[in-house]
Amino acid sequence: MAEDTKNNENTPETEENKPVPAGPVASWLSENGFAGVALEPDNLGVEVIKLEPEVLIPIATALYAYGFNYLQCQGGYDAGPGKELVSFYHLVKVGDDITQPEEVRLKVFLPRDNPKLPSVYWIWKAADWQERETYDMYGIEYEGHPNLKRLLMPEDWKGWPMRKDYISPDFYEIQDAY
Amino acid sequence: MKIETRTEPMVLNMGPHHPSMHGVLRLIVTLDGEDIIDCEPVIGYLHRGMEKIAENRTNVMFVPYVSRWDYAAGMFNEAITVNAPEKLAGIEVPKRASYIRVIMLELNRIANHLLWLGPFLADVGAQTPFFYIFREREMIYDLWEAATGQRLINNNYFRIGGVAADLPYGWIDKCHDFCDYFMPVVDEYERLITNNPIFRRRVEGIGTISREEAINWGLSGPMLRGSGVKWDLRRVDRYECYDDFDWEVQWETAGDCLARYLVRIREMRESVKILRQALDSIPGGPFENLEAKRMAEGPKSEWNGFDYQFSGKRIPPTFKIPAGEHYVRLESGKGELGVFIIGNDNVFPWRFKIRPADFNNLQILPHILKGMKVADVVAILGSIDVIMGSVDR
Repeated sequence: MAEDTKNNENTPETEENKPVPAGPVASWLSENGFAGVALEPDNLGVEVIKLEPEVLIPIATALYAYGFNYLQCQGGYDAGPGKELVSFYHLVKVGDDITQPEEVRLKVFLPRDNPKLPSVYWIWKAADWQERETYDMYGIEYEGHPNLKRLLMPEDWKGWPMRKDYISPDFYEIQDAY
Repeated sequence: MKIETRTEPMVLNMGPHHPSMHGVLRLIVTLDGEDIIDCEPVIGYLHRGMEKIAENRTNVMFVPYVSRWDYAAGMFNEAITVNAPEKLAGIEVPKRASYIRVIMLELNRIANHLLWLGPFLADVGAQTPFFYIFREREMIYDLWEAATGQRLINNNYFRIGGVAADLPYGWIDKCHDFCDYFMPVVDEYERLITNNPIFRRRVEGIGTISREEAINWGLSGPMLRGSGVKWDLRRVDRYECYDDFDWEVQWETAGDCLARYLVRIREMRESVKILRQALDSIPGGPFENLEAKRMAEGPKSEWNGFDYQFSGKRIPPTFKIPAGEHYVRLESGKGELGVFIIGNDNVFPWRFKIRPADFNNLQILPHILKGMKVADVVAILGSIDVIMGSVDR
């Protein structure tokens, strides 16, 4: 699976303005020929790696094999008006008697008009409802998810409530006006 | 030969309005006779958009909301809500405040496990423990009422940098009394329940989750520890002051409903152990001593020091969450409660993603129900420990 991802390495290299030293997970990935761009580590020092949607599944599989057996938190956020939607995956290595677990956060930036990426359900089952919720709130489509439909909002709800450009209906019944 | 007893699959709707559904969970169960062949949970009946609400509330405004996520464990929600911006801003918490937080969280863990135990036993057909647990839970609520002014939810007690108020006079003694009272009560529960043959046959070998499944499904808390994973965030992350205390991570290997029951019962005892140590060693001691010492020694008293305060930094209402992001988590009674927060130097968080424990624990339900009998549905659901306010947020 490692071979078919190598050709993506040239695209993200254009972001030369902010070189971030790659953490252990990012350097392990690049040693093994996986394309990911290390972003600034977060406030607690957890590595953040930016991925293209096409390489999410190969890299997620590799990280799973590398020991990241637990999808701790999956969610989405809106990067800002007119900017991308982001799907993030917080991974951790779960085991017995661990005190400083290895953690990494993967981020996939998606265009607003067509946010689509493959589902990681088949790697971590924990993505089941979390991806559904992200779909429900942001309209990000997880391809290959076994049951991708609204989870928390009513089935016939229009719009993606957690996007920053979402306009709340004045009252609930406006939904019936469509 | 034709089998005359063959039946068509039957679709059975359970909930959302039924006491055994623990709130407003709806299960659409497909049955072949008594066997479950499929189950689809429908959630969202209690969705209030807590993440959206968080995006236009300052932290001080938002804390009163959060005990409505998991309304049986409001303190955990408050704790994670203040932890997220507090760690992002690098605000230090005084030792005394940290101890008070741990005392409140452990009381809440006991209250949470009690409110799990009663309905779980009611689910498997024993009504008596339901009344017993309310007897004990009342005492925890009395303690909270004395310290925070509110009983079940809306304690509104946690603040960035500490807690809202110091413990009142005599509170520590009362909490000691509760610990002394509570330990024998757990024994009483155990005598009543653990080896009861009806209970054992009802829960043993039911809803089994293997270690690999539990990790892969992202389970946490007693669900994960009941499946043989020794993973407790109090140990893993060493947050607050849990390192100061001597306690054990409780776990079981069977992975069935009984294992989860045993883990929770033992965790109540561990919580009492932590409580006693925290009450004995809280910096500054009981409130009356601390206040008396302060008055006797005047403004230069060492008891005015940082470690002996109940709140380190009194944040203004206009406190800006600094730019940055991270994921913070703690071990609630149900498992891992986390918040992914993005700040952008504004009074409101840009993103406040809540990762509730029982939302993730409930996902596995349809998969462990398959092949079980219809009568086991409520037993397995009960053993997961869900509060729909937290699942739906």
